[in-house]
Amino acid sequence: MPFSLLKYGLNKDYPFEQHADLPKPTELKPHYDVVIIGGGGHGVATAYYLAKYHGITNVAILEKSYLGGGNTARNTAVIRSNYLTSEGVKFYSESVKLFKELSNEFDFNIMYSQRGQLTLAHTDAAVRGFRQRAEVNKHFGGKTELIDPQQIRELVPTLNMNPADMPVLAGLWHMDGATARHDAVAWGYAKGATQRGVELHQLTEVTDVIVEQGKVTGVKTNRGNVSCGCVVQAVAGHSSLLAAKAGFKMPITTFPLQAMVTQPVKPFLDPLVSSPSLHCYVQQTGRGELVFGGGSDPYPLYSTRSTMDLKESLLANAVELFPFMANMRLMRQWAGLTDMTSDYSPIMGLSPVDNYYLDAGWGTWGFKSTPICGKSMAELVASGGKVPELIKPFSMDRFNSFRQVNEMGATAASH
Amino acid sequence: MKMMNCPLNGLRNISEFVHGGEVKEMPDPNSCSDDAWAEYVFYTENGISVVTEWWLHAPSGYWFIAERHTGSDEILKTYDPSVLFNKRVEFSAPVTEGMA
Amino acid sequence: MTSMIDNSMRLNAPMGLLLNRDNAVEFLFEGQRYQGYAGDCIASALLANDRWLMSRSFKYHRPRGPLTMAGQDANTLVQLGGDPNALADRTPIAPNMQIEGQNYNGTLDKDRDAMLGHFGRFMPVGFYYRSFFKPMGVWDKWEGVIREKAGLGRLDLNFEPEYYDKKYLFTDVMVVGSGPAGLSAALKAADGGAQVLLVEEMPLVGGALAYNRFDIEGIEADRLRAELIAKVEAHDKITVMVDTVCNAWFTDNYLPLIQGKRLFKVRAKECIIASGAYEQHVVFRNNDLPGVVMCSAATRMMKLYAIKPGQSAVVLTGNDDGYLTALELNDHGVNVKAVVDMREGAAPMDLIDALSKRGITLHQGYTVYEALAEKGNKRVKAVDVRKITAKGEVGNASRVIDCDLLCMSAGYMPAYQLLCQAGAQLSYADDLAEFTLSKLPEHLHIAGSVNGIHQLDSVMADGQRAAQLALNNLNLSDELPGKVSCSVKPNFDWPIFSHPKGKDFVDFDEDLQAKDIVNATRLGYRDVQLVKRFSTVGMGPSQGRHSALPTARLVANSTDRTVTETGVTTARPPFAPEKLAHIAGRIFDPYRRTPMHHRHLELGAKMIPAGNWRRPAFYGDPNERDACIHTESVHVRNKVGLIDVSTLGGIELKGPDAAEFMNRIYTFAFLKQPVGKTRYAVYTNEHGVVIDDGVACRIAEDHFYVTATTSGVDRVYRDMTKWNAQWRLDVDILNVTSAYCAVNLAGPDARKVLETLVTDTDLSPEGFPFLAYGEADVAGIPARLLRVGFVGELGYEIHVPSRYGEALWDLLMDAGKAFDIKPFGVETQRLLRLEKGHVIVSQDTDGMSHPGELSMTWAVNRKKPFFVGCRSVDIVMAQPQTRKLVGFVLPAESKKPEEGHLVLEGDAITGNVTSCEYSPALKQIVGLAFAGINSSQPGDHIYIRVDGQLVEAEVVNLPFYDPDNLRQEM
Repeated sequence: MPFSLLKYGLNKDYPFEQHADLPKPTELKPHYDVVIIGGGGHGVATAYYLAKYHGITNVAILEKSYLGGGNTARNTAVIRSNYLTSEGVKFYSESVKLFKELSNEFDFNIMYSQRGQLTLAHTDAAVRGFRQRAEVNKHFGGKTELIDPQQIRELVPTLNMNPADMPVLAGLWHMDGATARHDAVAWGYAKGATQRGVELHQLTEVTDVIVEQGKVTGVKTNRGNVSCGCVVQAVAGHSSLLAAKAGFKMPITTFPLQAMVTQPVKPFLDPLVSSPSLHCYVQQTGRGELVFGGGSDPYPLYSTRSTMDLKESLLANAVELFPFMANMRLMRQWAGLTDMTSDYSPIMGLSPVDNYYLDAGWGTWGFKSTPICGKSMAELVASGGKVPELIKPFSMDRFNSFRQVNEMGATAASH
Repeated sequence: MKMMNCPLNGLRNISEFVHGGEVKEMPDPNSCSDDAWAEYVFYTENGISVVTEWWLHAPSGYWFIAERHTGSDEILKTYDPSVLFNKRVEFSAPVTEGMA
Repeated sequence: MTSMIDNSMRLNAPMGLLLNRDNAVEFLFEGQRYQGYAGDCIASALLANDRWLMSRSFKYHRPRGPLTMAGQDANTLVQLGGDPNALADRTPIAPNMQIEGQNYNGTLDKDRDAMLGHFGRFMPVGFYYRSFFKPMGVWDKWEGVIREKAGLGRLDLNFEPEYYDKKYLFTDVMVVGSGPAGLSAALKAADGGAQVLLVEEMPLVGGALAYNRFDIEGIEADRLRAELIAKVEAHDKITVMVDTVCNAWFTDNYLPLIQGKRLFKVRAKECIIASGAYEQHVVFRNNDLPGVVMCSAATRMMKLYAIKPGQSAVVLTGNDDGYLTALELNDHGVNVKAVVDMREGAAPMDLIDALSKRGITLHQGYTVYEALAEKGNKRVKAVDVRKITAKGEVGNASRVIDCDLLCMSAGYMPAYQLLCQAGAQLSYADDLAEFTLSKLPEHLHIAGSVNGIHQLDSVMADGQRAAQLALNNLNLSDELPGKVSCSVKPNFDWPIFSHPKGKDFVDFDEDLQAKDIVNATRLGYRDVQLVKRFSTVGMGPSQGRHSALPTARLVANSTDRTVTETGVTTARPPFAPEKLAHIAGRIFDPYRRTPMHHRHLELGAKMIPAGNWRRPAFYGDPNERDACIHTESVHVRNKVGLIDVSTLGGIELKGPDAAEFMNRIYTFAFLKQPVGKTRYAVYTNEHGVVIDDGVACRIAEDHFYVTATTSGVDRVYRDMTKWNAQWRLDVDILNVTSAYCAVNLAGPDARKVLETLVTDTDLSPEGFPFLAYGEADVAGIPARLLRVGFVGELGYEIHVPSRYGEALWDLLMDAGKAFDIKPFGVETQRLLRLEKGHVIVSQDTDGMSHPGELSMTWAVNRKKPFFVGCRSVDIVMAQPQTRKLVGFVLPAESKKPEEGHLVLEGDAITGNVTSCEYSPALKQIVGLAFAGINSSQPGDHIYIRVDGQLVEAEVVNLPFYDPDNLRQEM
């Protein structure tokens, strides 16, 4: 038994005040150097790195609901870097590196679990695309291989190699693929940020953004107004709505993304397995539950209702991939809101409003970028608007010059 | 499953329909600015409100217009596109020499 | 093996409504043979044999037995062969069924992991987050250990899916729940003229009428149930489905019902939820011991299964219902030692009198502070009863009462799941200490105890009220619904008695104690959602049916908020755990076949998927792919070959504006395309990206036939019709992909073959030259002939109505015999077109490819006013180009690049190989690749990394084969 548990167990009065991960609520101050709108993983990570690396601690994170309650709470916790473009792979590889250190950095276990991710190719086109992704990954030092059906059988012996009459032709085996306790990532960042003096204000909704002469100067909230030096908007699922308050449009459309989970059973599946052709993704959590995800909903909507149609098609395909799963029991389905861009890449950097920085357009792939996005956004803020090289390709004005970063093929149903 | 009222086929399951995006006015492609064109192509309102959208009833290949609330998903009305598009659209010739 | 045939705990009929005592059923539990009756669930059959320990808990491996007897808890999850987590209190026994307990190490009775319970103090809430990661890297080892303990049941990985199916149902009114509210709602709605579907989760109709006692005499429930059932059965407008769970509410009253191995998808115009309420437990130490049950569980045991739930009992209650339970127990020979009422002076005199007449001791203002257990915690043996001194606090004076059964009722939680899925709002009424529901969507109604109505007559009236609302919505009536209210308060405000030693469970599924919830808030997780996520409360199989209410109260209390402000976590579908098999149903896998499909199979084709189609990749031994393709390609180059191209899309455009429309959709100019000619058609989307191509045939001035790619045609057709819904051009557009099938007859002898079949058309090079279009009679088959050259040889695409497909194929194969005709597949075609330098859209293009970088500007006309991607193409073409699709060659003996390999310039990735094959015709490796703009001219060299090695290839002009196009134009 680890020492830390003995320590808690032998202490009758545990938990003491100093054990608290998050401070008690406080009043809003009239001014902050930095206001971060959105207390999800990205927002708290940005605050954490601002405090840790740049000594900027007069920071308020304003969260309209509860810490990590948006897509941080709803995603299926996939961590991977097997993208297609150089820009994408470089960016996400940095994230994977940071993730591995987080538990020790936070002194809080995020249960990072490197299980490897297997993506299945059922068509020649997929094989070509996967080979390219494997090559791009290897080029940047990632561990990704195109593997053949025999190797797939050895990795996942329980997989049906001819699901829905779509034989598995090859697989993209991404050894860096991992998962983590998604909530814990937000909590760990929040703990680290608040211990350094950052304020986390939950149940604090930004109702308007104050822009004067093209420059943001403050925000209005349900708890009063605050002035600020700059704003970081990190509100996945609601990016366009907040941008509208700041006075500009975004190249984003918001779609629900649904996922579902079964009752726990004894572990039998280590890698994360996905089939883009069958729009199906599955992994077994540390608790023994199976988590399934698929494609986004077919039309835009700001509602997290569940649908029968998606559940039927997703689970039919899941049972095709793993026939014995027919006997599993589904326990819960839910949804998140995803801000989709036309090139399936995020938007980070400057906005049409001065001192108003964007962290948006994260579609279905935001969780895995949490550390590196937070780190880059902190750099951007601390430098007073100098965009770090790593995120330059993801500026919003790439759409105005038609220079998109196309990750469509590397994103479908893999999250 | 959600139902939608197709102006041609009546009340049908939403799975029979394909979303076709917001009804947007195209700026004159031969005279507008690059930014105006990029805004038309990529940028959206994407608000929580009633939006006017294109929908296709896929089995019959029929496009129509729906007014739908993007927060509640309530479909307020659906109608034939001729209500909004009732006359032949013409394009003016390019003002600059394009590629041959 | 000895057989446990005991049944010693059985009561006599009429107890046991569900049992068929003429039909004994033997089954195995943990290897031991038991006997029950048909109609028994696993739990009742085991209880009949006085076996209470059925499962082990998730975290501490505590012994667990029945809690609700209604499938509402996770205390009796068992393993049925390869089927994990089956509900023992809902699953009927079957002859020779093999049942095992779950989640133990050793045996169910002697679980070595039960010692984990002693270490509970070392596993505070959220302990995983605080440990196992220092020093760096150690988590990798702990993870395996912890993972080993995860999960409950075991899945049989060799399980073969069984037959499950689906059915659609339509009804005017669906009523969920057949208790007194549901029955009266159904009758009222049906009397009003509506078609009614009444759905009941249990195997019998009646809800609480079937097991609860409503009066001191114990006669009212049976009388009323019989009366209502008789009326329902006699009503021809009511359909009753029992053993059926309504497992979710989806938009527009789309309701999935699960019955046996079938999923019904019901479309109900109106829906009435009369789903009842879940009896709630009291939180005290050892409240999870086998033998500690809900009051309603005890009455269910007796009435439904004829089980005598114990020899001596204590009833712990916060309402009047516990008194009635005590009477029921007493009536059936259970020695009720005491009724412990947490309330002070709230019970009506007649109930108090009834107890005293039977000699049952009553303690008012008292609670059970702790349940005491037999060795190994396998059964309750006594309870420690103490006086309540303040909210959640008790005095020191202890009174220990021996018993083997403790029945508890702290009140009720509405079965709110379906309603909250529909968007209803749950709020806490402080005066009633009860959650209530409001803000229902239109066409959804609520009745009975789920609506906070608890008196029998009011419950019935509430059912009728809901039915009246439904009838009004259906325009079958316009009467005002009556008002229904309830004066009973069944919920005790604070049934939580935390114990310093813990094991006072709030959540049985997850082994969470009162202090775990409070500590989560003290650690900073103050929002109930955060409490859930940090502590896992409510995340287990029963999804908070019992933990939601005490959690809300505890969190509210420790964060100084109201219970309403605190709330409960969101209810999500499904209502009850559902097998994936139910949702997946039968495999419905639509496919498309060309009319010649079976001919390909007869010819030994290796078929590959192409969307929903299957196409021949090549003909011959699948293991000899390269050789087969080589042979086929050489044959087409030297003789004649035939390929089925029916999967190509076909779109027909007819009308005065057909040419104008084509001109706006595709990049080329089409206004002046001559009748009888074909023209290459490139389609760019509004982003300026090439997304499809095809061949446009001008059949007449006002008539075009244009092909599209197999995977692209639906998109192109949709785009076309959408554009014209705006443009209002006078043209009819039709997707005729399925109406036509097509072959490509290609090779030097193609003309000779076709000439034997076509007599009405001059096929000579002058009469029907390259790029010609014409209609011809092919041995009696009306055909469209396109002289196109995708594979780079003399060739004819022959499009005929689909019904002639097989005949056309046979005619050509027959006529071709004299010329040694051979079929060729799509992979051979890919090689042939590559030799000819033709691009396949989507293989040689990606989501960013504009016409400029594909060298397709010759097919883009910018003198015309408009085509769909025109402005975007202009914008990207005006920018400096970064890459270009080029042809490259390598010597035959070189390492062959594969599609997807990278083109590098130093450290930078400048492009990728899109197509590459060894060309038998050119005796070298040929390919297409995106290359950096600086190395995209013929003569430039590009560097391709192949299996880690750089290969230097030369950029050459396209096409590789027959650069002067003599062969296709012959």
